[in-house]
Amino acid sequence: MSVEASDPTVRGGAWRTPRVAAPSRAAAWLLPAASALIGLALWEAAVAYFGLPAYLLPAPSAVVQAIFTYRSVLISQLAFTAFAAAAGFAIALVLGIVFGAAITASRTVDRMLYPWLVISHAIPKVVVAPLFIVWIGFGLKSEILFVVVFTFFPIIVNTVTGLKSADPDLLQLARSMGATRWEALTKIRIPTALPSIFAGIKISATLAPVGAVIGEFVASNNGLGHVLIQAVGSLETTLAFAAVFVISVFGIAIWYAAEWVERASIPWHASQRGGSNTGF
Amino acid sequence: MSAIRLDNVEKTFSVGDGELHALGPVSFSIEPGERLAIVGPSGCGKSTLLRIIAGLEEASAGTVTVDGRAVTGPLAGAGIVFQRDLLLDWRSIIDNVMLPTEFRRNAGSGSRTRARALLDELGVGEFAERSPWELSGGMRQRVAIARALMCRPAMLLLDEPFSALDALTRDQMNVVLQRVQTAEKVTTLLITHSIQEAVFLSDRVLVMSSRPGRILDEIEVPFPQPRRLAVREDPAFAEIARRIRLHFERTGVLVE
Ligand SMILES: Nc1ncnc2c1ncn2[C@@H]1O[C@H](COP(=O)(O)OP(=O)(O)O)[C@@H](O)[C@H]1O
Ligand SMILES: [Mg+2]
Repeated sequence: MSVEASDPTVRGGAWRTPRVAAPSRAAAWLLPAASALIGLALWEAAVAYFGLPAYLLPAPSAVVQAIFTYRSVLISQLAFTAFAAAAGFAIALVLGIVFGAAITASRTVDRMLYPWLVISHAIPKVVVAPLFIVWIGFGLKSEILFVVVFTFFPIIVNTVTGLKSADPDLLQLARSMGATRWEALTKIRIPTALPSIFAGIKISATLAPVGAVIGEFVASNNGLGHVLIQAVGSLETTLAFAAVFVISVFGIAIWYAAEWVERASIPWHASQRGGSNTGF
Repeated sequence: MSAIRLDNVEKTFSVGDGELHALGPVSFSIEPGERLAIVGPSGCGKSTLLRIIAGLEEASAGTVTVDGRAVTGPLAGAGIVFQRDLLLDWRSIIDNVMLPTEFRRNAGSGSRTRARALLDELGVGEFAERSPWELSGGMRQRVAIARALMCRPAMLLLDEPFSALDALTRDQMNVVLQRVQTAEKVTTLLITHSIQEAVFLSDRVLVMSSRPGRILDEIEVPFPQPRRLAVREDPAFAEIARRIRLHFERTGVLVE
C-alpha cells in the first residue's frame, strides 16, 4: 500500500496559498466603504459649493432626510411594487421552466417557439408597455404582466442551456444502468441544469423590481414607480432620489437573497465552492 | 449469465456525406467468469465494440447474443466503467455508488451496507460521506468501479478505465481491480491500449488491428490468479507482451 502515498487522497489543505495573497478581510470591507463615503462627500460638497437647487440635484443629506420624512409612504409603496415584482417573477419562473423543458424535450416545440422567443426579446418592451393598458386595462394586472414579459427570457434561455448541457457519456452510463427517460431527467439532467437555471433566476429576480417600476410608470396609481414619476413631474427631485434609493436597496437585497438560495441549493457546484485556493 | 457471443459484428457510421467503417467484422465469445482483455491502437473501434456489447449501440451487421438471445437494448447485468469516472458532483461518494439501485430496473438490488462494503473493498471506505471533488483521480475511479459493481452485474465492462492516471496509480489500480474481481467473481471485459495491463489483468488477450478493428491474434495468459505485479518481469510474461508488440510493429501501428 506504500504506492498510495504518491496518490494524494484528498485535495486542498496541502496547497499553499499563493504569495500574491487575497487582501485581508478588513481591506475587503474598508475599501469599498471608504470609496462610497468619499463619493458621497464630494457630491455633498459639490452641491453646497455650486449652490445647486434641490430640484436639479439634491444633496445626499437632503435625500436621507426625505427618506426619513416620507418613510411610511415609501415603505407602503415599496410593498406594492414588491408584490407586483414577486407575482410577475413567480409566473415568469414557472413559465420559463415549463417552456424551457418543453423546448428541450421536443424539437418541434423548439423550432416553433424559437422565432417567438427571439422576437419577444428583440422588441423594446418599454415601448410596448402602454399597449398593455389598451389590452388589459390600467392597474395591477397590466403591471404584473409587464414584469412577466420583462423577466421570463433569461429564465427560459438558461433553463434550455442547462437541460441541454448534461454530459452525453453520463447519459449513456445512466442508460446502461437501466434509467428511463424520466429517471435520466430527474437524476441527471435537472441537477446538471440547476447552476444554469440559477444564473437565469438571479438575472430575472433583479430585473423584476425594475420591470415593476416601469410598469407603474404607465399602468398604475400605486407603487414606487408611480411615486417616482409624480415626483419628477412636480420637480420634487429629492423625493425622486429617495424613491430611487429605496428601489435600489430592494434590488440589492433581492440579489443577495437569490445568491443565498443558490448557495443553499447547489453547494456542490464549482461556483459555490470558492476559488480561494486556485491562485486567481 | 453464460457466454456472450459475437458473430461477424461490424459497425459503420455515416459521417457527413460518407461512411466510416469503424469496426469489424469481429467474432469471439466471452465465457462466464473469464477475464478477457482487448488491446488495440487508438481509434480502432474498441469503445464502439464495448458499446455494442453493452447494448448501447446497434451493430451494423452481425449478431451479439447472451445465452443465445440477441441483445436488443441496454444489457441488464452489465456494469460499465469509462475512462472518465463520471461521478455526480451533487451526490456524496456513497450516494454515487447507490445511483444504479435507484433506477426502476434494479429496484431492491442493493443496500447501503453493500455500497459501504464495496467502498471498503476498493480501499475508499473512509470517503463514503465525502464529495467527489475532494478525491484524487485514482480514488474517484475506485468509486466508479464500486458503482459499476453495485447491482452485482454478471459482467464488468471496462473501457480504458486507467488511461487518465499516472503510472504508479495505474499499477495500484491494477492490483485493486484484480482483488475486487476475485472477491466479486465477475466476468470482465477490459479494453486498454496498454499491453502490460492487458496481459496482467486477463486470462486471454485479443489483439485488434487499426481501424476498422479486426482481431489479429488471441493469446492465453497462463499465470494463475491472483498475480503479483512482479509477474510482469517473468520471461514468459515478457514473451507474451513481445508477441503483442510484434503485431503492432508488423501492421505499422508502432514504428521504430
Ligand atoms: N458516433 C460516432 N459517429 C461517427 N464516428 C464515430 C462515432 N463513434 C466513433 N466513431 C469513429 O469510429 C472510430 C472508432 O472509435 P472508437 O470506438 O471510439 O475507438 P477506440 O475506442 O478504439 O479509440 C473512430 O474513428 C471514431 O472517430
Ligand atoms: Mg475508446
